[in-house]
Amino acid sequence: MKKYDVLIIGAGSIGVPIAFYLAKKGLKTAVIEKFPSEGRGQNRAAIGGIRATHSDPSKIKMCQVSIDLVKNLKEEYGEDIDWIQGGYLFPVYTNEVEKALKNILIKQKEFKLNIDWVSPEIIKELVPGINPDGLSGGTFSPEDGSASPLKLLGAYYRLGIKAGVDYYFNETVTSIKHTKGNIEKVITDKDEYSAGLVINAAGAYAKDIGTMTGLEIPVNPDCHEAGITEPVKRFFEPMVVDVRADGESANYYFYQNREGQVVFCITPKPNIWGTDTDNTSTFLPLVIRRMLELYPRLRNLRIRRTWRGLYPMTPDGFPIIGYTNEIKNLFLAVGMCGQGFMIGPGLGLIASEIIADKSEKFNFILDQLTLYRNFSGVEVLK
Amino acid sequence: MERITKHPVLPTNPETKQVPFKFNGERIFGLENEPVSSALFANNIKAFSIHEVEDAPQGIFCANGQCSHCTLIIDGFPLKSCITPLKENMDVRTLVHAPELPKDDSKLSNFQILDLKCDVLVVGGGPSGLTASIELAKLGFDIILVDDKEKLGGKLLLQTHKFFGSIEDCYAGKRGIEIAELLEKEIRTFPNIRIFTNTSVAAVYKDKKAGLFIDFKEYAIVDFAGMIVSAGARERSLIFPGNDLPGVYGAGAFQTLVNRDLVKAANRIFIIGSGNVGLIAAYHALQAGITVVGIADILNEVSGYKVHGDKIQRMGVPVYLKHTILTAEGDGKVQRITIAEVDDRFNPILETAKTFEVDTLLIAVGLASIDEFYNTAKSYGFKVVKAGDADEIAEASSAMFGGRVAGLQLAKELGKNVEIKDEYFEKAEILKSRPGKVHTEPVTHISEKYIPLFHCNQEIPCNPCTSVCPEGAIKLEDALHSIMDIPYYDGDECTRCGQCVAVCPGLAISLAKKLYGEFAEVILPHEFIPNFTVNEFIPVTDINGNILEKGEVMKINYSRKYKTYLIALKVLASNATKIAGIRVQDEEKTKPLPEPVYNYIPENGVVCRCERVTIKEIVSFIKENNIRDANQLKQIRVGMGACGSRTCSILLPRIFAMAGVDWKDVEKPTKRPLSIEIPMGAIVNEKK
Repeated sequence: MKKYDVLIIGAGSIGVPIAFYLAKKGLKTAVIEKFPSEGRGQNRAAIGGIRATHSDPSKIKMCQVSIDLVKNLKEEYGEDIDWIQGGYLFPVYTNEVEKALKNILIKQKEFKLNIDWVSPEIIKELVPGINPDGLSGGTFSPEDGSASPLKLLGAYYRLGIKAGVDYYFNETVTSIKHTKGNIEKVITDKDEYSAGLVINAAGAYAKDIGTMTGLEIPVNPDCHEAGITEPVKRFFEPMVVDVRADGESANYYFYQNREGQVVFCITPKPNIWGTDTDNTSTFLPLVIRRMLELYPRLRNLRIRRTWRGLYPMTPDGFPIIGYTNEIKNLFLAVGMCGQGFMIGPGLGLIASEIIADKSEKFNFILDQLTLYRNFSGVEVLK
Repeated sequence: MERITKHPVLPTNPETKQVPFKFNGERIFGLENEPVSSALFANNIKAFSIHEVEDAPQGIFCANGQCSHCTLIIDGFPLKSCITPLKENMDVRTLVHAPELPKDDSKLSNFQILDLKCDVLVVGGGPSGLTASIELAKLGFDIILVDDKEKLGGKLLLQTHKFFGSIEDCYAGKRGIEIAELLEKEIRTFPNIRIFTNTSVAAVYKDKKAGLFIDFKEYAIVDFAGMIVSAGARERSLIFPGNDLPGVYGAGAFQTLVNRDLVKAANRIFIIGSGNVGLIAAYHALQAGITVVGIADILNEVSGYKVHGDKIQRMGVPVYLKHTILTAEGDGKVQRITIAEVDDRFNPILETAKTFEVDTLLIAVGLASIDEFYNTAKSYGFKVVKAGDADEIAEASSAMFGGRVAGLQLAKELGKNVEIKDEYFEKAEILKSRPGKVHTEPVTHISEKYIPLFHCNQEIPCNPCTSVCPEGAIKLEDALHSIMDIPYYDGDECTRCGQCVAVCPGLAISLAKKLYGEFAEVILPHEFIPNFTVNEFIPVTDINGNILEKGEVMKINYSRKYKTYLIALKVLASNATKIAGIRVQDEEKTKPLPEPVYNYIPENGVVCRCERVTIKEIVSFIKENNIRDANQLKQIRVGMGACGSRTCSILLPRIFAMAGVDWKDVEKPTKRPLSIEIPMGAIVNEKK
């Protein structure tokens, strides 16, 4: 049996940064992953946006920390992860959306986020060639940005290894032995582990791990499809998010990454539940029509690749973070609802302070994102 | 202009209009509707783009619409020049780094989603796809046949040589280009086959549909019940320093330029790989008037059919066995290449280096099946059969027969009551055979009567000579009981009709008889426009290309049917049974430089051509990060390019081995759609 201070289940967007920050604080940390390398669950499918402009204090805090960390990763650790601070733009074409965004804006201002309502003229400068018909303005948050999910997680993996994290790939947790509110061992198809603390960071599979600990964790994956184009010279700056719903889709969003490639993703309506990630014929016609209506200049841009990934959804659209009442040495970092990539670094650092330093600074996060909330709220800015 | 104006097999006076166009502002000329890339080659322009990494000039690579290396800015748009037809006054510019997206901001209008439906989708209209379609069409299935070229026939269209195999099963003795015409004619008689040329399959989707990129303009989603994957093969790439210099490309691309577009793509070429593809490319080059400086192969025998290899050597092309390529070098294009012998562990022995001055290096190190559509369809549980090179790399003769069997198999899976005889499978296997044993040539004595002599002593699946002999006197030995057996003559009344000489794809049959005194007559096939006349003395060689003497030309006949010259020569009777061919290329032209000139830094070889990632970068990334999942190489952009790792993933096992990692311990790279880049506007079929 291998012994660790902390054992993390899942080497994804969440587990990998947490592992690094815990090891950095001197805890003997291991990560178990069923896939062959880091980020092969949903991190591989993330498109790369990172924004702090949410509508609730916890995600705002975690992502503000994320942006700080990601922005400085190159200077601090020499890891270039393709960070661009291009901002997030939510262009508005309907009264309904305008009202909703302006409502959220009040809250976002309260949290002192750098976000403002901008005029159509400014939007046309940010996204030259955007459809001007009916464009009434939008919100813009210049401090948000993007990075390569693959490179960012690769960087945290390398930093973790250097800080002493042990990674166990191609290893699946098969059961978790717990008695009297305490996990005694985590059993995999290859070995057994004991740890002072076990962190469930299993992403789309968090519910299954939860069941092994006797807890019902309301995380169910749904599926989103994404694509990427050929690289071209930079022609627009921000992540563009169109939150309007259409017949068969909800919101969609796209940005140009540092390679010059446009990366895009759409939320199907109704949601497609389950873990199937095989490509279907419906995605491209659906998303491309909507993108071209908004931004006709994209018409000559060639699509290179498409893929599907899972959003580990909770009933209210907010993550579940914190210790559990039933099992003392279990910490949950699950249900990121498709935002694990942007939350990961910030949550990693914050969780390390909660766990290693017993910091109480972040109790507001643990209170808000507790497993024991009633999940009746709705995240308006998913 | 670098155009082929004389060719022994192909017609060379196309009535195409010559049109002016601009390249980087300079007015030059090309033929209307030929691919822009070919027009540039005809103007001796071979560097098309400048790569972001190290500003490296990039040339053509596949000439086949598959990769993106030939992308140019054409009338303001970044387009693949090998599939863009040339128009009068086109403005063509070098692509420098990433292109600028044209600023077309007009509103999206007049768009529609195209849906198609069929019983069977046939992916690829080459030899196997065509025969599979015919079988299925005969059974009444509604078929959509797609091919990414302008004309049906696949690689048949590039094959100016005569085919191996048997006449009854696969048109042996005919040339690929002729077979393509026959099959196309037949296929066009079926109303239940809809043909989409210039059309690529972009993806096979889980909801039992496929995405088609039709005419490289519009996108359609096709619903099908069954699928034939006859998509052919892609050429394997090879890693060595200088492998991405303009002028290094595949033998298939070369055949496209030379045989389809009649562009004299090179003056002096060297070929790596002595499989049938490399050997035939050498032959096609010679026919196009291009000097073939040599062929190198790392193995210690010719990999293709021995008759092919022998033939090439008789014509005067040196074959360097147990040799590997060290470097291709030059200032922005290939100017010289260096090869060296290898030791028993295939490591080069630098002391044996030889440098040749060439302008082109062809890579012919084998083919890899394009079977990803099959694998995807299979994994989704669809009814799908693969055929031809997509199934197993073999000759087109076998592909044609295998396609028929595949058609029947799919019909059966789709519920048709068809019988597939066991002998079909046996035949399919035989036609796929690798070359077998080499026999010693029997000692033959010549007399006053003509007899055919067979310089064909290796077991290969081929027998047209037995079918054409009017006397019925050419037979196969009965050792293997198949068309793999060796031919022999069993008669005494040869009429000198010359059919066997003219039909033989290996040019491996001669006729001989005694003349007066110490002289004899031999009749040899010749697939070149003779540059000699009667009474002239020309060098003739034995089976392996050693010059035996200069024979006197007695007569020059031409077989219209086989487009082959038959040259009768007066030679020494003592040589008559040994003489197998005519030397066409002067030895002087093929000599290396007196001293090798090269700079060999092996780790500079480019692995991922799209993103230009070298061996050195990949090996050190694998070592430093203890990589066991090939997908992680995407962090350094391996496989992120236009081709989706279709070219470089084949090379990865070797690269991992260099880093000390066994490929079997490595997670394989994931392949995702699309297989070809499609503009967003095409997805919704916007018509402006």
